Amino acid sequence: MMSDLSSKAVHGHADARLRSTNVRTAIVLASIAAVFFVGIVVAKLVGDTSTAMSVLGAAVLLFLVLAIGRNLRK
Amino acid sequence: MSTIPHDHVAGDDHASEHGHDHHPSGIMRYVLTTNHKDIGTMYLLFSLTMFFVGGVFALTIRAELFEPGLQIVHPEFFNSLTTLHGLIMIFGAIMPAAVGFANWQIPMMIGAPDMAFARMNNWSFWLLPPAAIMLIGSFFVPGGAAAGGWTLYPPLSVQAGMGMDLTIFAIHIMGASSIMGSINIITTILNMRAPGMTMMKLPLFVWTWLITAYLLIAVMPVLAGSVTMLLTDRHFGTSFFNAAGGGDPVLFQHVFWFFGHPEVYIMILPAFGIVSEIIPAFARKPLFGYASMVYAVSSIAILSFIVWAHHMFTVGMPAAGLLFFMYATMLIAVPTGVKVFNWLATMWRGSMTFETPMLFAIGFLFLFTMGGFTGLVLALTPIDVQLQDTYYVVAHFHYVLVAGSLFAFFGGAYYWLPKWTGTMYDETLGKWHFWTIMISFNITFFPMHFLGVAGMPRRIPDYAQQFADWNMVASIGAFGFGLSQLIFVWALIKCIRGDGVKAPAKPWEGADTLEWTLPSPAPYHTFETPPVVK
Repeated sequence: MMSDLSSKAVHGHADARLRSTNVRTAIVLASIAAVFFVGIVVAKLVGDTSTAMSVLGAAVLLFLVLAIGRNLRK
Repeated sequence: MSTIPHDHVAGDDHASEHGHDHHPSGIMRYVLTTNHKDIGTMYLLFSLTMFFVGGVFALTIRAELFEPGLQIVHPEFFNSLTTLHGLIMIFGAIMPAAVGFANWQIPMMIGAPDMAFARMNNWSFWLLPPAAIMLIGSFFVPGGAAAGGWTLYPPLSVQAGMGMDLTIFAIHIMGASSIMGSINIITTILNMRAPGMTMMKLPLFVWTWLITAYLLIAVMPVLAGSVTMLLTDRHFGTSFFNAAGGGDPVLFQHVFWFFGHPEVYIMILPAFGIVSEIIPAFARKPLFGYASMVYAVSSIAILSFIVWAHHMFTVGMPAAGLLFFMYATMLIAVPTGVKVFNWLATMWRGSMTFETPMLFAIGFLFLFTMGGFTGLVLALTPIDVQLQDTYYVVAHFHYVLVAGSLFAFFGGAYYWLPKWTGTMYDETLGKWHFWTIMISFNITFFPMHFLGVAGMPRRIPDYAQQFADWNMVASIGAFGFGLSQLIFVWALIKCIRGDGVKAPAKPWEGADTLEWTLPSPAPYHTFETPPVVK
């Protein structure tokens, strides 16, 4: 009985940890998407459009390189 | 390693064996479902429906082009048909089909019980039907549907009627759905893999989808931002792209293709993943060069962000820009060549059999390579200047996206239908389907190369007499291609109704990923206890 309860507690703890990890990953990804969405509009609004667009484009490319690259190491 | 030997899998018990494979029934099962298999099914059926809607548009276009002169539709309506055909096939058919495969397969292939955010998964799907209704419904509003091409270039898109607003709104909704789906897929793959399933043990289909999802996160907001600017130009007096107010229409082309070229890879990478599962299974050999395949897909994804301007060589770029984009585009052929080589090497001296999924995979390999080759031709700036906006371009991208993505998706459907439905598909029907679409596809699209080289422009309802013969051939092929899809529907209905041989857990001798350790059909709940992959 005691071992059943402790096993449930361990599972519950693991589930909660997985949930919070998932939410954290999702928030990071959603924030990146939001930055790109706002960034493309702001880049056109600022004075030097071509520089701003280049910065945004580089940011998008950097995101991709880092996101894919960090998984390739595992 | 992409494959998991069965004796290395422990804990592949499933819910049905524990007596709780129950699920709701009736229509509400699908409205409220959070189950990845139900949602995968809905995505796939939705995409098939939209494929037929987009297909009817295509057949109307081909009927109009059967002979010179205006015969069936008004030119304005013709332009709407070409625009909506593109938008529906891309956002309504191919992308949702890929997400459907991801929903069904990713959790089962990585040993996860479901997607990370099951409710968001439901929401991602249910955003699509209203968006599709808006797109199709735009035909019935004053001014008709958007008619400036699927690329929505200003000034046409700034000047168009209310149909353009509905199109922009539909793109926003579909984009939101794609971003939510991508977040779900990335989170699932990164955080919910079975113990022991390291990144370099992931099946290649999962890898290709992980990279596709990253691409979606990177580019869908860019598209959403640019169409939002179009919307404000149309209704709120801004001049982002409106030349009359000091805006820059060419900038829209840059921003659009910064989204648009990676979008091509968003549509083709999952197809690469499917083919990378099918070929080893029917060659009965492990995939040749697994690590190089992963690196090749990663390289393709990254390179896809630095080639966008090859779609707009004729807008007037500096010579340095033309050269950069020409060479960068040609560079993509290297990782793509690695993949094609690896698929061929996997087949080399394999104990191959040629069931329907393998036929589609080989058809994909043959025709996609041809499409890739014409892509290289178009990458050459001097040639592209001549071929820009001709039927050569139409032929090229249909070889890539129809013979590429669509063939792979059909192959994937036949490959996994036994797992999804518990019934083996009808092999005779499958082979008839393959050969009829293989022949009719080439009758439709191969002549378009000749038309393009001869100078026939795309997106026109009428043409000079000199183009008549090949247009007639292409139209006959198109109707054959359309009718051939009914064979697939027949085969699909037979499987769903259970009219066929009962499928074993592992119908394909060489298949070795985790889903084949489950019974067929896959139970409603799977891998509630994660398997251990050693």
